[in-house]
Amino acid sequence: MTKIIRQKLGTKAAVISMAAAISMTAISGAQAGVSGDGTLEWNGFVENATFLRKGVGLSKFRNTVQLELSKQFNTGSVFSELSLNVTFRGTYDGVYDLNKSDYGNQAGGAINLQSTFSGGPGFVPHGSGIVSTGTAFFGFNTVVNPNSGLIVLGSDAHANNEGGVSFGVPVRPCDVDSRGCIAGYMDFDSDNLRFPEFNSRMDFLREAYIDGSIPFSNGHELNVRLGRQQVVWGRTDLFRVLDVINPVDYSRQNIYDELEDIRIPQWILNMEYRMGAVGSFEDLNMNLVWNFDKFRPNSLGQGGTPYQILGAGGFFRGMKNCWNNGCTVANFAGLPVPGTTGLAATDFAPGSIGIRGANMPEWSIGNTQIGFKVEGVKDGIGFSLNYLTYLSQLPSLHGGSAGPAALNNFTGEVKPWPYLIAFDIEFPRIHLFGGSMDLYADSIKSVFRFEAAYTTGEEFGNTLRPELYSESDVIRYVIGWDRDTFIPFLNKNKAFLFSAQLFGQHILEHELEETPASLAGITGFGKAGIPDWKDSWTMTFLMKGWYMQNRLSPQILAAYDFNGGTAVISPSIDWLIDDSWRLVVAANFKFGKGPRKFDDCRSCNPWGPFTATPFHADALQAGSVGLAGFEPLGRFRSGPIGMASKEDEIQVTLRYRF
Amino acid sequence: MKKQMTSMITGAILGLGLASGFAADMSDVEKLFYPYKNSVPTHEGLKSGVIINQSNVEKFKDILDEGMYQFIKDGWTEMSVTDTMAYELNKAYINATKVNLNKTTLGEKTGDIRGFITGRPFPEEPDLNDPRAGEKLAFNYKYGYNWGDNGSVYPFYWKFRDLNSAKIERTLKFNFHFLNLKHRVNDDPMPDLPKNPGGLFRGIYVQVLEPFDVKNTQLLIHRYEDDLKRDNAWLYLGFQRRVRRLATGQITDSFLGSDLMIEDFEGYNGRISDMSWTYKGTKNIMLPFYKHNEQKLTEDHKMSDGFQFIEFGGKGGCFPNIDWQLRKVYIVESVPVDPNHPISKRVHYIDAETFTLPRTVIYDRKGELWKTFVIGQAHPDYHLPKNKGSGVAIDDSFMMLDVQGAHCTTGQFKGQIDSALSPRKKFTVQNLRVTGK
Repeated sequence: MTKIIRQKLGTKAAVISMAAAISMTAISGAQAGVSGDGTLEWNGFVENATFLRKGVGLSKFRNTVQLELSKQFNTGSVFSELSLNVTFRGTYDGVYDLNKSDYGNQAGGAINLQSTFSGGPGFVPHGSGIVSTGTAFFGFNTVVNPNSGLIVLGSDAHANNEGGVSFGVPVRPCDVDSRGCIAGYMDFDSDNLRFPEFNSRMDFLREAYIDGSIPFSNGHELNVRLGRQQVVWGRTDLFRVLDVINPVDYSRQNIYDELEDIRIPQWILNMEYRMGAVGSFEDLNMNLVWNFDKFRPNSLGQGGTPYQILGAGGFFRGMKNCWNNGCTVANFAGLPVPGTTGLAATDFAPGSIGIRGANMPEWSIGNTQIGFKVEGVKDGIGFSLNYLTYLSQLPSLHGGSAGPAALNNFTGEVKPWPYLIAFDIEFPRIHLFGGSMDLYADSIKSVFRFEAAYTTGEEFGNTLRPELYSESDVIRYVIGWDRDTFIPFLNKNKAFLFSAQLFGQHILEHELEETPASLAGITGFGKAGIPDWKDSWTMTFLMKGWYMQNRLSPQILAAYDFNGGTAVISPSIDWLIDDSWRLVVAANFKFGKGPRKFDDCRSCNPWGPFTATPFHADALQAGSVGLAGFEPLGRFRSGPIGMASKEDEIQVTLRYRF
Repeated sequence: MKKQMTSMITGAILGLGLASGFAADMSDVEKLFYPYKNSVPTHEGLKSGVIINQSNVEKFKDILDEGMYQFIKDGWTEMSVTDTMAYELNKAYINATKVNLNKTTLGEKTGDIRGFITGRPFPEEPDLNDPRAGEKLAFNYKYGYNWGDNGSVYPFYWKFRDLNSAKIERTLKFNFHFLNLKHRVNDDPMPDLPKNPGGLFRGIYVQVLEPFDVKNTQLLIHRYEDDLKRDNAWLYLGFQRRVRRLATGQITDSFLGSDLMIEDFEGYNGRISDMSWTYKGTKNIMLPFYKHNEQKLTEDHKMSDGFQFIEFGGKGGCFPNIDWQLRKVYIVESVPVDPNHPISKRVHYIDAETFTLPRTVIYDRKGELWKTFVIGQAHPDYHLPKNKGSGVAIDDSFMMLDVQGAHCTTGQFKGQIDSALSPRKKFTVQNLRVTGK
């Protein structure tokens, strides 16, 4: 049966390629197809996106066929308008076949992990830790978990982990190497990766909804949209402050793809009561959104895929492998060997550290998500007030005392251990209260956009807590500015668009404290707590011009992460060759500090007194003293730009619309 | 009658204090609305069926605007002549003008209009000695019966053309909708729609249907009754699924890459107060007024109801193949108040009978000829059956020719005077979101 399914999936590449070829040669013009009675319209496109990454080579060879259908129905007495709208999308990403050594079934290899313990080698192979089989319960079976098909965690972001913690990450598709695959969350096999839409959730059906309007005698109208759809809230670009109803797929191109293309459609009932002008409001509307789909988290990528936001896919897969099969952790154990320094690479047994699994919320009424919005225009100012209760689309790691029962590698005792880096993945419920507005300031010929949200229920990693996470309310906001400005020496006929946005995040119950070691000024030790910045800001800037009747549009998009000290610049040229063909050539360059360090909980002393450090006054007292490294929590200091600092790319996209 | 006289006196008094007053009488109104009742303008050698071309253009130089004269002289186009015919505006509009005669005055600032109710606000022959004459003509255009109380161009094809190669680079398909929320004379409720807290005068809603890269783009413009208040405009971008408020810069910028800016729509689509208006004189010149059903029509985009669009030809395929007729025009110059505006001035040739803007010539910041705009006006009785008797000069074809860039945008309208196509709900910001994906 598996073979049959695989054969079927294997033909999809050929089908998509053939469809693309037929479309490109046989269909001309970009006018929509229309049925004789004019009630059915269809159009679509085929597209190839080829991206090349510095130091890697091919990072994307995505071929897409998208078909959009719209059918208008004769309306009876209830509906004034009624239509069915369907969008199909199928893609084949050839990178997994064309660049197998980086992303396919030949990716990864044997690795060596750093061991700064001066009494042993500086690097040891995976499975050959200094502390290993023969020492208490340490060690794991290298037949089950061999040193092959691996990369060192974070090696794609930093060449040297500078004495920090690390471990191996399996990087081959889950059908080739099942190690570290998290069931129901990050368990993509070769065909899932090649054909991401053809999965059990039928993501090839990007949209399928009935849209109808019911007029009332008072002039008001109820618009009902039922089905698989995207629902977009908010007024800002790039950032998701209110636009959080649909989860997004960061595995497509990290944070750099259009949200339109990476929102994961959900089965939603979207009702809007449109009142038009009411009282002093020029326009007033009430909106109810009920996302009754089975929960979907954001797709963060997977160990071995070219795009992973914050490198999370690799971290999770490595951690899951640690839990299932054990793993060698670099620079971990301080050995009581006189005259030696440093930390020894350590082979942990299965079931002792890592990620046990993801508790994906099952479908139930209680797990559905609901939102309300009031939106309108008053005195020329557009505004909205929003409320949404939803399940976090980002994972929360519950560890330590709230984590799974784990094996003490010294004693063999199995139970949840405070501060132990053994986790379950949860998706907590969040309540969002927000609003937005836009206005035009004539004196400076600028449009300003504001968007803000206050959330409760979000969880953050926290090395000060025995469960290694804590809850905090969060404020997020975006201030946007748009202005059209003529630059006569560049184009005397057409203004350039300048657009800037400042995104801010404030974690209200942020915890970050000095540790005994950091207070003592010991090198390599720092503060412990929540790795995310208490206050963080990111700024974006867009300059866009148009030439040749808007058919040629160069732009520069840049972003700067103030806290991470990292920047990305993405220049591009969008050439609309004619009504059918479109070519986009872009680049994506990162600059700045790159990876940052944070308390990695090596010094959390979960198994005292064996794991106690000289800075633990009580060897039985668990808790971090702040030993820090790039991995795993430094990624939250680095941010998505810094963690992808080595992913400079040249990107070419060619689209034919029919 | 007594009430009317009182209003006239009040208007005159107000006028003395605020702007030069002029009291029109009923005979003035008759003359203005029926300029061809007793006679039509003539020119030696001009008659129906004549083709003005390179060989004979000098004979007709006096009745051609500067731009059209040059185009014909250069052999870019020819002009087919037809008899001057009356375009009687909707009777309700004419009656409203009579009822509200002399009630309207200008305030101190350009764009400050007072007392206007319905009809034509200044039904008087312009006077070169009146410094506000240009502004009054501009208000007559603004409050003209241009699309009636509401109208639609449904659909509307724009083609981007290279003047030299005649290559059609882009074809855009739109729907345009217009709705007057105030000063209505024909469709209930009149004169104003209820529930208009923002004090809007007019809404313009545009939906792009093709091609793919701009499909689902929508534009909404809210023009306030208070001309000194800035328009509000929003753009919905299909690929972003987001409504974006437009800055003024985008009103005076190329619209979707065409040779038109939003401010160019209908000849002029902005606030009166954004310009300084100067009346330059009255003249008889050739204007693109014709019977749609008697023109050479194209087979392209033929509609299922049999409607066919105007054919284009001439240099670059930029010129509509339509008839022209000799008509009385008021020539008005508009100069942007904003020194950073991309143009230095427009010269409008206002059709005296309909107060439409069938010819506009646009000059760049250096004062050099930049663009020339032709809007063909079809007689409603020779168009769609639903338009018959509507008393609306139907915008039916346009050419915006960028003579510096050797490029043009042409437009083919299916204008429909049909209130059902432009319900009020189309003119809300929320409609952009609902109509978009």
